Amino acid sequence: MDHQIYILVVEDELEVMDALVNDLEEYEETFPVETANTSEEAKNVIENIYNSGNEIGLILCDHVLPGQNGVDLLIELQKEPTTKISKKVLVTGQAGLEDTVLAINKADLDHYIAKPWTKEDLNSVVMNQLTEFVIQQKYNPLEFMTILDSVKLSEALRDNRPTDH
Amino acid sequence: MRKGMINSRETILRFINHTIEEVDDLRSLVVHFKEKDVIFRQGEKLPYLFLLLKGNVILNRKRDDGSSLDILNLEPGHFLGLIALTTGNPSLTTAIAQEDVRALQIRQTEFETYLADHPRLRHPIQQLIMSNLSHRFMNNVKLESEMHSLNEKLEEEGKQLKEAYSKLEDSHQKLVHQEKMATLGELVSGFAHEVNNPAAALLRSAESLIRNFRNLPDNDPTALIFNFGLTSDPLSSNQVRKRMLVVQKEFPWIAERSQVRKLAQMPDEAYQIIHKARKKIPVEQLIQQYEAGKFIHNIQAASTRIANLVKSLKSYSRQDKNEAELIDVRDGIKDTILVLSNRLKYLDLKLELNEIPLTCGKLGELNQVWTNILVNACDVLPDGGRLKIRTKVEGEFKIIVEISDNGPGIPVEIIDRIFEPNFTTKNQGAKFGLGLGLAISNEIIRQHGGFIKASNKKEGGAKFQILLPVKEC
Repeated sequence: MDHQIYILVVEDELEVMDALVNDLEEYEETFPVETANTSEEAKNVIENIYNSGNEIGLILCDHVLPGQNGVDLLIELQKEPTTKISKKVLVTGQAGLEDTVLAINKADLDHYIAKPWTKEDLNSVVMNQLTEFVIQQKYNPLEFMTILDSVKLSEALRDNRPTDH
Repeated sequence: MRKGMINSRETILRFINHTIEEVDDLRSLVVHFKEKDVIFRQGEKLPYLFLLLKGNVILNRKRDDGSSLDILNLEPGHFLGLIALTTGNPSLTTAIAQEDVRALQIRQTEFETYLADHPRLRHPIQQLIMSNLSHRFMNNVKLESEMHSLNEKLEEEGKQLKEAYSKLEDSHQKLVHQEKMATLGELVSGFAHEVNNPAAALLRSAESLIRNFRNLPDNDPTALIFNFGLTSDPLSSNQVRKRMLVVQKEFPWIAERSQVRKLAQMPDEAYQIIHKARKKIPVEQLIQQYEAGKFIHNIQAASTRIANLVKSLKSYSRQDKNEAELIDVRDGIKDTILVLSNRLKYLDLKLELNEIPLTCGKLGELNQVWTNILVNACDVLPDGGRLKIRTKVEGEFKIIVEISDNGPGIPVEIIDRIFEPNFTTKNQGAKFGLGLGLAISNEIIRQHGGFIKASNKKEGGAKFQILLPVKEC
């Protein structure tokens, strides 16, 4: 597969990042994982990914980050034509109601995962979001049958004939 | 003066009574009222003027709120309806007879005619009117001055009430604050106990896991790699990305990105061991060993952090000890920093905690002072803002704690008021529920026998200086 759909994780605490990335391991062969410790770094990583002809399917983002916080980052990314279509998930123990409302209204937040998370929860959110992403972007569902939600993908296959990708 | 007037009124009355007996058409004007009879009502147009010959009459005025007030007690010789006569307005009062009353009733329109017809009465009546008016005027003056002194009294009482209220408000705030601290203390000690147990279990389990994994000879590659995992600190995303490129050169046959990422976290020495051992032990197994070590290390780091946080939270709130004891002020500062670590995390914090003598004080209360000042600083400092805490001794008996930042400083117009109760620049409740303000900090330091001073540095930023005396308990 030349063109790749990335998962981006933004988290400043290294141990937490370790644990998150480890829990995403089973997706990694289909959806390479990239990481960033700050919003700035995240934006650089995103630029590199798009520059090499790839795209980002899912962003998992902590809220409390040094410099620009997670919600503001997601709002900014929502304005970019490239990352507007990426699925956005807040993974945090500290975003207050106000910030969360802001994220839902302005960043079109797709999901909220409270810390501490469980591997099952994280995996089901990641699977649902990525399934939705590949269906919405009209990728060939057959390529993702083994790793994503095969029921939804089959439905999509019945409803829409896939276009070339 | 007043006595002379009454006498002359009595004389005049006697004369008038006498005249009435003699003149028939005057006698026909005499009217009688019994006790509680209403002679006229407030708001009525008054066609008559009455000259009171016998018995007392009270003028009563109904007020807007429905209550009524006795305005004037009229005696024989007084006129009723005098104001109505001179102004032509409806009566301002209701006249009520207090006993059997005899009065001369003269139609207002005919008043002048009567005086003309009976020249003998003209002079005494005029005198009576004068006496009546001066009586009412004196009454007025008396009332006016009474009202003035009443107003003054009222104002004074109002002022006292205001002071009492503000004192009450003040002590209420302090009580609420104490209550908050007490509740926090209870919560913390309960919480600390509950959290310490699982934290201890985590730490013990991690150690047992290490022993299980190390159950191999020291030079065994698996054990060596496990040790690397156990001792190496996690890398930043940037470092991981760079190391991943190294790994791709070092192990070009490993395609799985997740495996490359895991290898990227290992130090170069680990690669040598993997190269040597990979004929006998699959790389995947060694990576697993490294991961095991790394995660146990993470468990240890995280649970140590929990234990330390709980410890500082406990000593920070000092619920168990609210008595003064010999303390090292720096311990409290360190606890406060740990408790506030979440807020201080992105500031450039410099500690210069020089050796200071022990002194008698309440650590928990002093921690509120450090918290107040540090939280205020966090509120105004941007990420990367500089915060400096310094302790030193001046002479032998003075401990000085200096907290300074490179923020916007304290606006000159409020710098004199920041230690006043209820002064705040925030419109929201303070975070933590502790930052009840610098007023309480000021009070705490004062109770410790010291003082607190705020200033702006020449080069910009605020500086708080706290001076505490060195004393025995």
